[in-house]
Amino acid sequence: MKKRKKGISKLLRSEPFRLIGGLAFFIPAFILERVGLPVLSLALYISALVLSGGAVFFDAVRGIVRKDFLDEKFLMSIASVGAMIIGEAEEGVAVMLFYILGEWFEHIAVRRSRSSIRSLLDIRPDSAVVLSDGEEVLTDADDVEIGSLIVIRSGERVALDCVVVEGGCDLDTSALTGESVPVGVSVGDELLSGAIVASGVVTCRTLRTADNSCASRILDLVENAQEKKSRSESFITRFSRVYTPIVTSLAFLMAVIPTVFGWLSLSESVYRALSFLVVSCPCALVISVPMAYFGGIGGAASSGVLYKGGNVFAPISRARTAVFDKTGTLTKGTLSVSGVVTKDIDEDELLALAASVEYTSRHPIAECIKAAAKKTYPVVLPSELAGRGVLGYIDGKSVAVGNLRYMHSMYVNPPVTDAGVYVAVEGRFAGAIYLSDTIKDEASEAISSLRRLGVSRVVMLSGDRAATAREVGNTLGFDEVHAELLPTGKVERLEKIIKESDGGVIYVGDGINDAPCLARADVGVAMGSLGSDSAIEAADAVIMSDNLLRLSDAIKIARKTERIAMENIIFAIGIKLAILALVSVNLAGMWLAVFADVGVAVLAILNSTRTLIGRRKREK
Amino acid sequence: MKYKYTISGIDCPNCASKLAKLFEKADGVDSAKINFLSEKLTVESELSEAELLPMLREVAEGFDSDIEIE
Repeated sequence: MKKRKKGISKLLRSEPFRLIGGLAFFIPAFILERVGLPVLSLALYISALVLSGGAVFFDAVRGIVRKDFLDEKFLMSIASVGAMIIGEAEEGVAVMLFYILGEWFEHIAVRRSRSSIRSLLDIRPDSAVVLSDGEEVLTDADDVEIGSLIVIRSGERVALDCVVVEGGCDLDTSALTGESVPVGVSVGDELLSGAIVASGVVTCRTLRTADNSCASRILDLVENAQEKKSRSESFITRFSRVYTPIVTSLAFLMAVIPTVFGWLSLSESVYRALSFLVVSCPCALVISVPMAYFGGIGGAASSGVLYKGGNVFAPISRARTAVFDKTGTLTKGTLSVSGVVTKDIDEDELLALAASVEYTSRHPIAECIKAAAKKTYPVVLPSELAGRGVLGYIDGKSVAVGNLRYMHSMYVNPPVTDAGVYVAVEGRFAGAIYLSDTIKDEASEAISSLRRLGVSRVVMLSGDRAATAREVGNTLGFDEVHAELLPTGKVERLEKIIKESDGGVIYVGDGINDAPCLARADVGVAMGSLGSDSAIEAADAVIMSDNLLRLSDAIKIARKTERIAMENIIFAIGIKLAILALVSVNLAGMWLAVFADVGVAVLAILNSTRTLIGRRKREK
Repeated sequence: MKYKYTISGIDCPNCASKLAKLFEKADGVDSAKINFLSEKLTVESELSEAELLPMLREVAEGFDSDIEIE
């Protein structure tokens, strides 16, 4: 029963109902006024006003009781009642009807933007297919325990973070990382919730509960992001706090002064003051600026960039310096053979010998030599000396592979000393293998697109050896390379860079041991580090894939959001000032004033959703 | 304890922050945050769920009868 009652009161309070009801009285009143029945007409006008604006008056009175009354409902109530009192009944009702029409549009616009942002972020499935005793049971994602087996088929979204135990699939991670190319996944690989299985079927063991899974954490970050207000947002909040009282007092002066000096009649100056009040309602600003940031944060999240707050947009837009960590950020973080020096032996042969002896080793260096070798030989008696190298026999000859210390311990003196691995055959130097970390394929394009965006100083900070760091820096065209830095040295260097730079400094790291730098920079961007809590904690923005090109996307989204917020501020204040000027010289009446209020609000809200529209186009 | 609710029917961001302040004034509520755009209400309170929700609803009812909390 109570629910039904609430349903009726909701209908009575809904804008379309109030609008139609108001019009139903307003139109006859308008006609009766023209045919000379002023009393009846006034009665109908009053009924129209009460029907359409009753709820507004009610809320305004409640506001006064709370001693917190200078809001738009209060302004609209004074304006319409004021107009009634000075005998402009027609306009008093019209103001209210326009206001309600505007509110209605505004609600529609807000609702639409809300739902379009939500659909972008709709990456958390409610249920998962759990395998229990060989039977598939559709289970609420929140009820799935850690360690359960779940089955995910093609076209389905991964509900919980899990690891594949059976089967294989192509995984579309675009909702998480913004990368559109599906990745192949097989037994032992981890799946993050929010990704979609593009083809194939996998059975997985869950690693986390739904609440702690990737998709939920992304949504939490995005939602919390709105609590950190951008500068423009806090400007608007402060602005509207001082604004309404100022405007109300100005309107009061506008009503009193011309009357006292006898320039205008009382009703004329009150009318102008009321129109002034209506225009000056700050609604458009108050709603559209946070909306722009909300759109920006939502749009960025769906391209794989998580902003931790609206306050990050301004500094990242203005940044002129970008500082990169090397290993894992600019490079793939996996070693590969970059060069070979040989003595009396073929290069391929050298690699084959080294790879054969290293065959059973799991050391990363061994792995990359094995990857580079084209063939291997059978090895007899392989042995490993931890921290030095390996020894084995091929065709009866001893083959030793290891570092410089290992060579020296066998009285082998290689002619070069800066290689990663040395090879000796029968106790004599045969060759050396140079290793380096491979630069990410997109790194060079990413740096040039940063430069196109106006980042003029690109710096690398690395803990690696100077020669290696410099080589990567030269290849990518860095302005400065600082190598052989300890973690504390990185922070000191970064502080120096921050001091020297005008415009902001972005620090980009992979989140492993550079949390202090991420925290210290104007904008810390953690890459590919959704797993690392400390990175998410310290960073201002998180790029979910390890694709460096997303960095310039992140900057572009931030700039667009900032621009839209600024447009909304300028547009709203500009139009209002223009109409205020017109009102005060009597070139505009209350009707136009109401448009200035609600029309501007609707347009600004629509403008805010452009951050999302741009994103959709790219998807197509 | 931290409680999370869905709150619908708020008209503007300003109203959201005003209502949040009203919630914060209520006894037993340490902090209240309303996210206007995602329509989420987060309350930190020592009250139990059974005490908190009716109290929040009452405060919201006095503010604007369109507001619903779940």
